[in-house]
Amino acid sequence: MTMNIAALALLDGLAYASLLFLVAVGLTLIFGVLGILNVAHGSLYAIGAYATATLGQWLVAQGFNPWLTFPGMIVAAVAVGVLLGGLIERLLLQRIYSKDPVLQLLVTFAVFMILENLQRMIWGVQPYFMSTPLTVLGNVRLLGINYTAYQVLFLPAAALVVLFTLRYFLRHTNMGAQILAVTEDREAATAIGINASRVYFMTFVIGACFAALGGALATPTTSLVTGMGANMIVLSFAVAATAGLGQIEGAAISALIIGIARSFAVYLSPEIEVIMPYLIMVLVLLVRPNGLFGKETVRKI
Amino acid sequence: MLALSKVDASINNIPILRDISFTVGPAETVALVGRNGAGKTTLLRTIMGFTTCHGEMRFEGADLRAVDPHRRPGLGIGYAPEDRRLFSRFTITQNILLPAQVAKLGETETASRLERVYHVLPELRDLGPRPAGSVSGGQGKMVALGRALMLSSRLLLLDEPFQGLAPVLAQRYAEALGRLREIDPTLAIIITESNPELLRSFASRTITVERGQIDSDASNERTT
Repeated sequence: MTMNIAALALLDGLAYASLLFLVAVGLTLIFGVLGILNVAHGSLYAIGAYATATLGQWLVAQGFNPWLTFPGMIVAAVAVGVLLGGLIERLLLQRIYSKDPVLQLLVTFAVFMILENLQRMIWGVQPYFMSTPLTVLGNVRLLGINYTAYQVLFLPAAALVVLFTLRYFLRHTNMGAQILAVTEDREAATAIGINASRVYFMTFVIGACFAALGGALATPTTSLVTGMGANMIVLSFAVAATAGLGQIEGAAISALIIGIARSFAVYLSPEIEVIMPYLIMVLVLLVRPNGLFGKETVRKI
Repeated sequence: MLALSKVDASINNIPILRDISFTVGPAETVALVGRNGAGKTTLLRTIMGFTTCHGEMRFEGADLRAVDPHRRPGLGIGYAPEDRRLFSRFTITQNILLPAQVAKLGETETASRLERVYHVLPELRDLGPRPAGSVSGGQGKMVALGRALMLSSRLLLLDEPFQGLAPVLAQRYAEALGRLREIDPTLAIIITESNPELLRSFASRTITVERGQIDSDASNERTT
């Protein structure tokens, strides 16, 4: 393996890890606070991507400035996260928080199936593209390699912004403090006046927005096909489980490990590329059943 | 001020309390005594809205059951649970201030309420910056009382505050309640306790709970 290929694999992995983190952090946040493993997270990712492609193509077709596709990605992601995420929480999840985890898993799985078909009804099965943000940002030369600036600069920057904003939000804002309090003890939080239902709703919507944002930012580099949501939910679960469910900073690190390991596998032994993330997950969980950063008893985010 | 009438309460469809009726007036200190498992904690949790209940509960004339549990602290009801339940991710000061922050109280109002807490519990001033997970059980009880005091301007519910407290700390806790009585004579206080003797000098009335029902309700003769 030459240095060139190693550098290429590293950059590939970095870009991929950034997208993985965006989706996994939403999944892990929702699990950490609500205790629900949201399988429909994958659909929110896919629908965020489709909505971005539709909005971006429309913007370009109308002759707007191509740079507008960047705010377009965020608008589409937030719209999908707030509307769809909000509806899922209000109509379904709110009724099952005290129920058996198996039932919760089944309900979110059912939502995933419904959304998967809804997606086919709306966007059909032909692949979608919207690579405008990729082309307007152009290429950069990094480690001796020409790479798209979108993938090696914009995506990692977006992931870091999300990571640090989320950390700041949880530790230094009123809503963040309420989320931490409800996570630790719902009843004690209610006894000091915190509206736990509202905290759950906000947390789910924020998590859903991250899933949709992951999809939105994936749009310029991925061709959108049916089944991408299923693929992503399994992958982001692997990332979240490797880190320990509920661990936000941990998700960033395990996304990096899995992203980079996978892209090295692409170059070194392509046949194990697909199972690479799960291989890492299994190895980590064998040694540390609670994940790399997971703790034994207390649920924390 | 607080009036319960024929209240039944259950947790997960298991009936715990039956036919509870009593009233508490302002400035009253009521000891709620009974064996472990008699339903004392459930009674306090019912007032806070954490159980499924039937019957009538009125607070200052208004129907308390119609008020969402998270809005009840805003009526001036403070609750210190038996097992402290501090938020370990926060410092002691943050734990005490969180109720005020959630209620979006103004800066001056928050400061004056914090002063009231410090007046009652001077030791919290020094504990302030420590993480809530690091304090001992007894200190934790003081912090839980301080946190409950932030919002309790009308009614204070204390669940087994003396349980497991070292004698010195129990003494300090009782002194703190004495100071609270002094600065806030109209506050109503309900304290649960399994040892009826402990509160006899402090509470003006003792309600005994036995197997989920009220066994007796009598005012205490002042012996001290």
